[in-house]
Amino acid sequence: MPYHEFECSKCIPERKQHAVLKGEGEDITSALPQGYLNTIPGTISERGCAYCGAKHVIGTPMKDVIHISHGPVGCTYDTWQTKRYISDNDNFQLKYTFATDMKEKHIVFGAEKVLKKNIIEAFDAHPAIKRMTIYQTCASALIGDDIAAIAQEVMDERPDVDIFVCNSPGFAGPSQSGGHHKINIAWINQKVGTVEPTITSDYVINYVGEYNIQGDQEVMADYFKRMGIQVLSTFTGNGSYDDLRAMHKAHLNVLECARSAEYICNELRVRYGIPRLDIDGFGFGPLSDSLRKIGLFFGIEDRAQAIIDEEVARWKPELEWYKARLHGKKVCLWPGGSKLWHWAHVIHEEMGVEVVSVYTKFGHQGDMEKGIARCEAGALAIDDPNELESLEAMYTLKPDVIFTGKRPGEVAKKIRVPYLNAHAYHNGPYKGFEGWVRFARDIYNAIYSPIHQLSMLDISEHAIPADRGFATARMISDTALSEDIRQDPNLREYTGGFDSVTKLRQREYPDFSQDKPQRQEAV
Amino acid sequence: MTQEQQVEALVDYIMKHCLWQFHSRNWDREKQNAGVLGKTRQLLCGEAVDLSTPADRCYWADAVVLADTWRKRFKWLAEMPTDAIATLMHALHQRLDYLTITGSLNAELTDQRY
Repeated sequence: MPYHEFECSKCIPERKQHAVLKGEGEDITSALPQGYLNTIPGTISERGCAYCGAKHVIGTPMKDVIHISHGPVGCTYDTWQTKRYISDNDNFQLKYTFATDMKEKHIVFGAEKVLKKNIIEAFDAHPAIKRMTIYQTCASALIGDDIAAIAQEVMDERPDVDIFVCNSPGFAGPSQSGGHHKINIAWINQKVGTVEPTITSDYVINYVGEYNIQGDQEVMADYFKRMGIQVLSTFTGNGSYDDLRAMHKAHLNVLECARSAEYICNELRVRYGIPRLDIDGFGFGPLSDSLRKIGLFFGIEDRAQAIIDEEVARWKPELEWYKARLHGKKVCLWPGGSKLWHWAHVIHEEMGVEVVSVYTKFGHQGDMEKGIARCEAGALAIDDPNELESLEAMYTLKPDVIFTGKRPGEVAKKIRVPYLNAHAYHNGPYKGFEGWVRFARDIYNAIYSPIHQLSMLDISEHAIPADRGFATARMISDTALSEDIRQDPNLREYTGGFDSVTKLRQREYPDFSQDKPQRQEAV
Repeated sequence: MTQEQQVEALVDYIMKHCLWQFHSRNWDREKQNAGVLGKTRQLLCGEAVDLSTPADRCYWADAVVLADTWRKRFKWLAEMPTDAIATLMHALHQRLDYLTITGSLNAELTDQRY
């Protein structure tokens, strides 16, 4: 096993099994780090907790719900507005956050009364909202508050409200991933099958593991609607509570982030016979394949192909403009979980960048299998890294840019490595054909920004050169390009607008009700 | 090109472009590999494909995209006789089962529950 030992972690020998260097000819049976294990004491992990994974990743993107944490206010504060999961419900789920504000006295005397008081206050403050999710925290779990009983009391008193209880305290798993698992299973056990939906199409999907970061879900839903597909529910970005209670009526589960939501897809397959189709919404090739597969499943491949042809013709020249300028740049791909494998191969193939390292904070070994399988040889794969290991890796690998979260991103900036936010994005959405160009543009701006160029100068060691004038990003990026590429009339920079999402909300979709394609029954 | 090299080319494509082979449990991976590769073989060999269940259609959707792409990308595959394709696909299936199941280092694959 080609384990990689960090100099800074030699005092923690167990860490050696959490990083591997993929060599030439090595595959996932010979290069795979440990993963999803309890954090080794002393490593100062950057993981989140199981409460955070349940609430912040999966629960809170639901748009028409009061999301209330039963615990100290700090738990809620730390998970509030840290991810840009927007919605078409005036961003209710981002604007408001709720906590029962448990204090020491509640630990001693119990907090069930204060919980009930908070639930009623919240419903009264927002009379239009009739749905609530209550998240257990370490504090309320350790004292044994019966949240489900209190929720039932309120539902008995107020028949028009519905409450979902998520028992996923912070200590319920090695990382936020434990919370993903718990809320998946809790939702299907408590809520799926409790609403019968109105079916408006012959083609019905649940879009699962999609959290509408800066509008990703709305971009993908737009493609589905243009194909005449009913998106019964989205788990959970821009998703509606009652739609998600009806997940059992879909014909197909289209799964995007398998790390956070494969559990509910697996259960829906076992309990209701709904097949699971794993897709990639990022990148022209993977997205085209994904739309085509969904079209094939329903017998409407021609509709998928029409969208692919239109979108590729519109956006490919812009992607190619960036690819020419990003070619050969080194990237550390350091997201939390699924983008490790969603992006590992396609950014190399479609943008020309070299992935020199992948890491995952909370991924499992299955995520690393996917990521390492999609990486080229020479990539350093790290599980659950800490800040010192990340710094050591950056000093060693010398990436031109890293894609990561904002905490390690700020650390990277301090050593003059630009970063892009892989979780909440910089100028997303990044899904969809246009989104992929927006991502390429953000990478370009991160690498070639004159500000970043200036910040890379260490003024403690070097004087600021006075013999150079101001240079634009284009002047810097085009220096090494051939004249043919610089003047290519077929390539252009991104021409979309600042906001690529809002316009989708007013869109009218074709009526396919008279158009019944013949399903292919055999080949 | 030897059969081993052909298998590795196809495996490399699957690993970099597909996700269906990486479900989270051994029994799932066995079903996925058999379902998608079985239907891909049928398509490449010009055989009839059973689409009677939603699961069949789902495997088939993955298989159609795989077979179409391979025919374009690997000219040697497009020119291969059907009995040779069947033999190659059998070897590929064995190799993929090894990489994702029997040879996998993923400790979660044997968990009894999702």
